[in-house]
Amino acid sequence: MAELICEERTIREINADIRRLLKEGEAITVRSPGARHNLGVALLASGEVVFDGSVGYYCAGLMDGATVRIKGSAGWGLAESMLSGEVIVEGNAGNSAGAAIRGGALVVQGDSGARTGVSMKNGLIIVSGSCGYMSGFMGQGGKMIIGGDTAEAFGDSMYETICFVGGEIADLGNDAILAESSDEDKQFLDTSLARYLPASLRANLPDAAGFKKVVSGRKLWNFKKSEWKTWEQAL
Amino acid sequence: MSESSSPPRALQQSGIFSSRVIEDIQTKAESGIYQIRGYGTLRERRWATFDDLTFLPCSLTRIPLEGYREKCSTKTVLGTRFAEKPIELDIPIMITGMSWGALSYNAKVALAKGASEIGSSNTTGDGGMLAAEREHSKTLIYEVLPSRYGINVHHMQMSDGIELTIGQGAKPGTGGLLLETKVSDAISKQRELPVGVDQRSPARHPDMLGPDDMVIKIEELREATNWQVPIFVKLGASRVYDDVKLAAKAGADVVVVDGMEGGTGASPAIFQDHTGIPTLAAVCEARAALEDMGLYGKVQLIIAGGIRDGVDAAKAMALGADAIYIGTAALIALNCNRPLYVDDYHKLGTEPHFCHHCHTGQCPVGVTTQDPELMKRLPIDEAAERVTNLLRAMTLEIQMLARSCGKSDVHHLEPEDMAALTPEASVICKVPLAGTRRVWGS
Ligand SMILES: Cc1cc2nc3c(=O)[nH]c(=O)nc-3n(C[C@H](O)[C@H](O)[C@H](O)COP(=O)(O)O)c2cc1C
Ligand code: SF4
Repeated sequence: MAELICEERTIREINADIRRLLKEGEAITVRSPGARHNLGVALLASGEVVFDGSVGYYCAGLMDGATVRIKGSAGWGLAESMLSGEVIVEGNAGNSAGAAIRGGALVVQGDSGARTGVSMKNGLIIVSGSCGYMSGFMGQGGKMIIGGDTAEAFGDSMYETICFVGGEIADLGNDAILAESSDEDKQFLDTSLARYLPASLRANLPDAAGFKKVVSGRKLWNFKKSEWKTWEQAL
Repeated sequence: MSESSSPPRALQQSGIFSSRVIEDIQTKAESGIYQIRGYGTLRERRWATFDDLTFLPCSLTRIPLEGYREKCSTKTVLGTRFAEKPIELDIPIMITGMSWGALSYNAKVALAKGASEIGSSNTTGDGGMLAAEREHSKTLIYEVLPSRYGINVHHMQMSDGIELTIGQGAKPGTGGLLLETKVSDAISKQRELPVGVDQRSPARHPDMLGPDDMVIKIEELREATNWQVPIFVKLGASRVYDDVKLAAKAGADVVVVDGMEGGTGASPAIFQDHTGIPTLAAVCEARAALEDMGLYGKVQLIIAGGIRDGVDAAKAMALGADAIYIGTAALIALNCNRPLYVDDYHKLGTEPHFCHHCHTGQCPVGVTTQDPELMKRLPIDEAAERVTNLLRAMTLEIQMLARSCGKSDVHHLEPEDMAALTPEASVICKVPLAGTRRVWGS
């Protein structure tokens, strides 16, 4: 296990070291991350990186393949545009966690901010707690599991992202609708939660049957004047 | 039938409710939504353009260079501020970002080949990178747009520059559209969207809002590309002076300003006609912003929007642009609006030279379509040659003007090399009105 100390080093130096060590096959612990921005951007090799504290914006952004654990909270755009890999944040995540991800898994053990999973194209996002305003906005694919409550405009203007919510939904966004969960969905929830959340956190969540499923109503997919009432708000 | 002896009654139409307005109202009354189209503004009212300027070549006060032979450099370097590998081009005219989706595969590849042949660059677009466009582009700029369709860090690392797009001149403040006929199997796969949706791209980036976030975003893009390549910020021309300052302050190497005349694959018509400021005004504001920050010449400026020929390009450069993006002009070189397959223009309810129907996906000449049959009408190599020729001719036009103004480098053109033909242009460009020795408004 290699150790990197952030203090007094530039982000460029820190990231270069992380990438080099990952390539060499080392597991890495990054000490004193100090909530600095752009830590662990563009990690393109498999291997484990642990941030021993909170991180700033875009941590693990543009990543492909690594496993990143944050022993603190994360700023905006956590794991944005990730292609594959795993990002686990033990605290909370700021706005736009998992924005535009195309694969991999993002796990927020605390709460996440506004626009969680915005424009996600594929992959999996799990938030053990609650999520903020407009989460799931324009989600194109993949799955998002929110253990707790959602804020307003949840799942607005989605394409094919499938969301599951364990708590209360403050308000569904434009064209978001509730759907019946299938047995397959319940199995997916059970296996995903068991795989990514510790038992202590799972204990706070309802069982799979207690999750609400939210999908796109598909009325905003094409311009149709018959659905004008929906468009009136959405355009 | 009895013949009338009175003269025919002169028809008189309302200046407000013109034929076009009547048609617009009745179309909306049928469809229930605003009008969408491609191409760029069709606005008829005149505004100050590059045509309102004229060059003042040398006579006795200055000595010209030999017009057809003396050396006049066109080498263009972009991204000298922070990037370790600035972009070096042989000419100052570049191909702007137009998505694979808006454009056909053949059009994308032809642009890449055509630009590379003459040492220019090509730009991806709102749909990610096409492998063939990387393969055939000597220099490729990768756009990072609000939609993030096809975003791929590996593609970013294979690129020669990154363009963080905040907006476009044809539709500042709103996202792009790709209507269902163009969301084919291949495009839906590339963009990870259901086949046949009317795709509406977001206006805002998913993970940043204002200029403070952008500082961090730019650093992220540099980290992702190991600080090697320049980071461009592209703006639709709106509050240009302030926006350019913010982009430069946020750390951009290159600022792209796309004026109101800028082209589009599909956008609401009202945005094309009634939002943003003209390219002429935009270049002047952008230059002033960089000068006021002491960054003119350090942050490079690329200007886009309605540039038709070497003359427009030379005027934009004299006013402060380091390089020029062309979109529509390059599509016209590909064959857009050429009188071929005229019946198919008629099917769209238009004629060659009047077409602005890129949004339909039924482009008669195979440029803005995903229909394999229509696409075949654009053979790649012939089309690429026309792009090369256009870029060459435009470059020669710039060089001729520069030599006549006594410049051995096209980048040495300056406002002093021009006079204004209208008081508006004099006010905007701060060059004297022809016939006076006065800069109006100062
Ligand atoms: C068919 C078409 C597609 C376009 N697609 C994009 C795009 O994907 N991303 C983008 O930033 N701008 C796009 N644009 C705008 C151009 O990049 C550029 O700003 C504009 O075309 C410049 O104006 P001009 O066409 O008059 O040269 C597109 C323009 C056209 C004509
Ligand atoms: S000819 Fe094709 S590219 Fe040109 S305006 Fe018409 S549809 Fe668009």
